[in-house]
Amino acid sequence: MSPSSPASARSRGGTRPARSDLVRLLRDLGSGIRRGLARDEAAESSPALATGLAAVDELLGGGFAPGSLSELTGPPSSGRTALALALLARTTAAGGVVAVVDGADAFHPLSATAAGVRLERVLWARPPAAPEAVRCCDRLLRVRGFAVVLLDTAGRETEWEALPDAVWQRLARAGAATRTALIVLSGRRVTGSLADLALALQPTRVRFRGTPSLFEGLEIEAAIVRRRRGPLRGPTALRLRAESAD
Amino acid sequence: MRIACARVADLPLAAEQRAHPELRGRPLAIAGGEGARAELISVSPEAQRAGVRVGTSVAHARSVCAVLAVRIVSPSLAQTARDALLDAAFACAPRAAPAPCSGGVFASEAAVYVDAEGTGALFRSEAGFATALVERIRRLGLPVDVAVASSRHVASIAARRLGVIDTFPCRDEAVGAAEAGRVLVLLPEQERDFLAPLPIDLLDPDDALAEALTRFGVHTVRDLLALPRRGLATRLGVGVLELLQRMHADRDETPLPELRDARLVEAIDLEAPVDRLEPLLFVLQGLLSRLLERLEARHLGCGDIALALDLEGGARDVRHIGLAAPSADLRVLVRIARHALESRRLEAPAAGVRIETRGRPLRRDQLDLFRPAGPAPGVLGEALAALQSLCGDARVGTPIAADSHHPDVFEVTPFASPGIPEPAEAAPFTGALVLRALRPPVPAQVRRYRQCPAWIRSAVANGRVVRCAGPWRTTGGWWSKEGRFAFDHFDVQSEDGVVIRLRYDHVGRVWQIDAVYD
Repeated sequence: MSPSSPASARSRGGTRPARSDLVRLLRDLGSGIRRGLARDEAAESSPALATGLAAVDELLGGGFAPGSLSELTGPPSSGRTALALALLARTTAAGGVVAVVDGADAFHPLSATAAGVRLERVLWARPPAAPEAVRCCDRLLRVRGFAVVLLDTAGRETEWEALPDAVWQRLARAGAATRTALIVLSGRRVTGSLADLALALQPTRVRFRGTPSLFEGLEIEAAIVRRRRGPLRGPTALRLRAESAD
Repeated sequence: MRIACARVADLPLAAEQRAHPELRGRPLAIAGGEGARAELISVSPEAQRAGVRVGTSVAHARSVCAVLAVRIVSPSLAQTARDALLDAAFACAPRAAPAPCSGGVFASEAAVYVDAEGTGALFRSEAGFATALVERIRRLGLPVDVAVASSRHVASIAARRLGVIDTFPCRDEAVGAAEAGRVLVLLPEQERDFLAPLPIDLLDPDDALAEALTRFGVHTVRDLLALPRRGLATRLGVGVLELLQRMHADRDETPLPELRDARLVEAIDLEAPVDRLEPLLFVLQGLLSRLLERLEARHLGCGDIALALDLEGGARDVRHIGLAAPSADLRVLVRIARHALESRRLEAPAAGVRIETRGRPLRRDQLDLFRPAGPAPGVLGEALAALQSLCGDARVGTPIAADSHHPDVFEVTPFASPGIPEPAEAAPFTGALVLRALRPPVPAQVRRYRQCPAWIRSAVANGRVVRCAGPWRTTGGWWSKEGRFAFDHFDVQSEDGVVIRLRYDHVGRVWQIDAVYD
């Protein structure tokens, strides 16, 4: 290592590296340094993927960014799946192709159809365990043309929390390169600091009506608990209607 | 009409070397059966140089050549080699057909006739076409000689002649030595001169006729053609007329058929039965590799595979391997085959393996400039096959609603990327609460109050039932003892805040949670 390298400068007394060192480092890294910028570039240059839920889209500043890694978290009956399928419904209606990597084997085709998802534009994969689900995601994120890859980990968070951060880093980079939005659905946060956005959902009220009673829907609150760029916002109220209430 | 004959001189040997490339260049003999007394039916040039001869016993051959590798003749391998020969022919020309099996000294040969009419426009010359054919067949692991002539029989005789000479002196520019194969192009006006000095044995007469012709002093084609026709059949039998007919190059040839069947089979008979997964996969990898080479010759991808294992004792284990998309990736196919083998244990060791598939075109289509670009079909196909190898059979695809009243029934169809996007429609209704399925349904303990659940205990929801809606009864399949179902569904909010879809199964008399509202 040369005496003027950044590492040697730190070892000499913790001083900041000189600008010339940084310039040399950037030159040495060459095109590799652009990989780190790809995620931001992708997010900036493509229109956001809207969910069609005005409150959520406003909260997100238009929707989920293409090429970003986003996380939807919340306990059961918090509307996280409804929000994810709303995104798929809008995307497929606009002609996009989406993939669902169903790590929880919980995708309900009839319910998704009722939510407006066009199933003929959905590729559904049901891997048996987390490692296979990661590989599926990796494979799909490297195929250019999928607008959204939804990874459902809800109910199996323990399995997913054991994965190293490098997994999410790899998936995030793959998504950024192909401009595919990776949405991770989970009970609690599993992607750590690698998520560009984390949206936490919380149920506030369960609505039944009439006698005999009829399940009407849920009232929930959504809040941004992590955002790589931009302020944290929320909570915002949202109402989701059950199919039986129509 | 111009016809090419591609001929593999020693099919059992070539088929064995195709299946086991590591045997190339080594002394190898093919035995007609098991045991030390079995007769050798085919011998490689290396073994011949070591002194091993066809017709000797295995024990004798081993005493002559200590490093001799002996394999038992495999009809499966021979058949797949014949099929591969035909595949290569169809890769170069639109019409081809296998030659009928010969007898006598040519019993071990395999040949295919290929329509060479007009191929000069594509390959610059007939010699170029013949060389391309040799190259294509060589890529499939078969040594071959190719001759082009005006009829099937003349082309066949010329190809046989190539097997015993290196070059033919009359047409230096038309005869060339290709790598592991020779080519010969005979123009119509040269065929008579070419055939005249050839020995009668190349025409493959039956034993009685050959003996009679020898007795008459007829040794060459020229001698045969010089015989007076009157009373010839009376003296030598009707077989001689057939031989004479073969010499007439200008007679009408029936057209060769086009390729109609995209079915491909690869098979191998194992010398020792295999019951463990890894050796079986090793064998399968070889089969799949050769299958992909043949598919590549037809410019196709691998479709669904039928894997048949011939078990010891005569039973046959057949497994269907469905592919989400056509694939030409060997690693992916091997992984899918592993899933298929792991899914069910073999009842007995496998003594033979056979795979059959139908070639399917790899996906190619044109995307639209003004609509969201979907995945490129070729890349998507590979990805789908890889996904299936990770997830298993019927776990990758597009879900569709099944034609059933059963609330949990759906079907998974192969995912096809929408090639031509449909016109934009109105924005879908959003804000609908959806269900998360629980597969299989989670059993629950339920206490009722006035016919409604009042208390619940399960892995999903626990405690007092706060609110409840229902029941909604769903019944169906009553005409079938196995398929009948009757459920009472409830929408239930439990004390811990979870809203579930609870059901009472009247057939099984159990409470279950089949979905969670989320």
